[in-house]
Amino acid sequence: MALKKTLLAYTLAFAAATSAVVAHAQAPAAAQPRTEIQMWMGLTGVNGELLSRFGEDFNRSQNEYRVVVSFRGQYPEQRAAAMAAFRAGNPPHIMQMFDAGSGDMIQSRGAIIPVSQVFQRAGIAFNPADFIAPARGYYGLPNGELLSMPFNVSTAVLFYNRDAFTRAGLDPNRPPRTWPEMIAAAKQIRERNAAECGFTTTWLAWIMLEQFNARHNQQIGTLDNGRGGAASELTVNNALNQRMVQTLIDLQPTRAFSYGGRSNDAAAKFISGQCAMLLQSSGGLAAIQRDGRFALGTAQLPHWPDVQGAPFATTIGGASLWVFNAPNRTQQEMRGIAMFLDFLRSDRVMTEWARTTGFLPATYSSFRAMQQAGFFTQNPGRDVPILSLIEARQGQFTQGYRFGRWTEIRNIYYEEVERALQGRQTAAQALRNFERRGNAQLRAFERSVN
Amino acid sequence: MQRKVIFPNRWLPYALLAPQLVVTLIFFIWPSLQALLMAFQEQDPFGLSVRFVWFDNFVMVLTDPEYYNTLVRTLVFSTAVTLLAMVPALLLALAADALLRARSAYTTALMIPYAIAPAIAGVLWLFMFNPAIGVVAYTLQVLGLDWNPTLDGNDAMLLVIMASAWKQVAYNFLFFLAGLQSIPRSLLEAAAIDGAGPWRRFRTIVFPLLSPTTFFLLVVGLVYAFFDTFGVIHAVTAGGPATDTTTLVYKVYTDGMIALDLGGSAAQSVLLMLMVIGLTTLQFRFLERRVHYS
Repeated sequence: MALKKTLLAYTLAFAAATSAVVAHAQAPAAAQPRTEIQMWMGLTGVNGELLSRFGEDFNRSQNEYRVVVSFRGQYPEQRAAAMAAFRAGNPPHIMQMFDAGSGDMIQSRGAIIPVSQVFQRAGIAFNPADFIAPARGYYGLPNGELLSMPFNVSTAVLFYNRDAFTRAGLDPNRPPRTWPEMIAAAKQIRERNAAECGFTTTWLAWIMLEQFNARHNQQIGTLDNGRGGAASELTVNNALNQRMVQTLIDLQPTRAFSYGGRSNDAAAKFISGQCAMLLQSSGGLAAIQRDGRFALGTAQLPHWPDVQGAPFATTIGGASLWVFNAPNRTQQEMRGIAMFLDFLRSDRVMTEWARTTGFLPATYSSFRAMQQAGFFTQNPGRDVPILSLIEARQGQFTQGYRFGRWTEIRNIYYEEVERALQGRQTAAQALRNFERRGNAQLRAFERSVN
Repeated sequence: MQRKVIFPNRWLPYALLAPQLVVTLIFFIWPSLQALLMAFQEQDPFGLSVRFVWFDNFVMVLTDPEYYNTLVRTLVFSTAVTLLAMVPALLLALAADALLRARSAYTTALMIPYAIAPAIAGVLWLFMFNPAIGVVAYTLQVLGLDWNPTLDGNDAMLLVIMASAWKQVAYNFLFFLAGLQSIPRSLLEAAAIDGAGPWRRFRTIVFPLLSPTTFFLLVVGLVYAFFDTFGVIHAVTAGGPATDTTTLVYKVYTDGMIALDLGGSAAQSVLLMLMVIGLTTLQFRFLERRVHYS
């Protein structure tokens, strides 16, 4: 009897507590139903948490909309999920798509709404010229409109181990600026055994193909690097690219160059001190600062001095924000999308984003704000990436590219160069195979979108 | 008198079966039919322009030399994984069967790898064997062996074979142990009295009586090696270096999800399904007659 009474008492208390919690949670919503905006992102760790927090900040700043930022897997998985959602008629409002996926997004006409139009329809002022030129060129149309909004922008830089430089008898304040200097430094490091390997690279295709060709203002494909349409062809089998791949092959036996894997794996070789130099995305800075046990130096990407006009600007990486086109989007929702994007590109958000992550300030105004706040003087080396984007010379082919199936084409580059590094083919053969297989992918993509 | 169990209720069996059938229909039959349909279509990633192209996708797949390289690689991979998963499992089962004490402790310990998701198993082996940070890799380098799965295709293949087989050993071990324990002790004792040594007893009594289990594990093991090893490969090598660890099922993923060639990828998965059905049919037709069912 006593037990029954106790049970009853506990049950009532629990029910009361639960309903109180539920009522409390529903109370603000009962006041006014907020329109929900779904944003999918592909960032993890610190970067992902910060972007989610920006969503919360936006929600707190107004009570018309509720932005839900969710992580849907890394970029390829997220892209697949978004496509499935689009086919079902219910894609997310905003999606973060990485640079290599841009071609697929743009060429499929009707899937997205250009971000310039989104702002225009919502009546919010939007000037694409705010964004740094390389980002504008990458994600923009010839008439100046922007297809997607650059958000997390990165570029390739050279990180180097100052302690290893000192050990090898090199001046840590004068990092290599050209490839001959780079090769000489790597060889000297190996001769004096200042490190087990001279240099390594992450993101082989992004750095050795895309960034490399931008740095020397070389064409990657016809029709203005693919911007003219899906009928473009690759044009990378030339002397300069062959020379670069051959250099990597030749430097392997003495471990002046040591291959570390396709994506970010090689960073571990640099952080552990095994390799003295690392070609890496500027976004890799956080991991190096956290785990590296040596003095770090940052420099711009090296170039070949015999190429006329080099060094040109590097190109961008990272991701941008795309707005999906769905038949059941209301005017209300479209306005909410524009407001949130406007919030994300504000100086306050952009500067906090750039300070915390290794990504760059994507707008000129946020870059200037950081300069004036003394961020770059207090943190030497943090301005190297942005300067290599906006201070270096701009050229016809420093604006990026726009090819469909580029993720797969990057994979083909990995496969062919790896085969050359294994000694199974020469650099010339590798690039010839890459062009052949890459063009087959481009033709298949062209057929599928027409 | 024969006792039969008859359920008087007419609709209850169907009602009880219905949930499982619905799940099978939605998550297995429907996607398979969808893949079959997509194999005959050519479409852009967003489904905005879809075209019926008859057998074009199949022709493109079957005339691609890379497809045949992948096929040979997959056969090598699957045979290695199946054998490497069955032989140690049999040895362990024989050892566990002979135990008098603590058999359940060993059995539990040996069973654990089966409970691990394939991708996790891949990551575990990656950590051990990664040339930059792996413990075993470091030991190998100290011993003077040039271990580099990031660049050496054979090293990479060896790594994924080991990681895939390791998971399956646990599964095979359980079945072998159960099979061994169903062999009557009297048979083995009689043979021992007649002077047959352990190897003779194994060859003439244990292995033939174990053949139903072996046959079953062979069929299941091959299907595992063809399909379920995707997680391991994706986590450990992502099909690289070059294409040295790209098996047929991994190629379906890269062509479908990375290249967004949905038609070609669907065609490949249809071909893969036909291949495995063919292999299984061959096994049943030719191997099953040698199985001794008691």
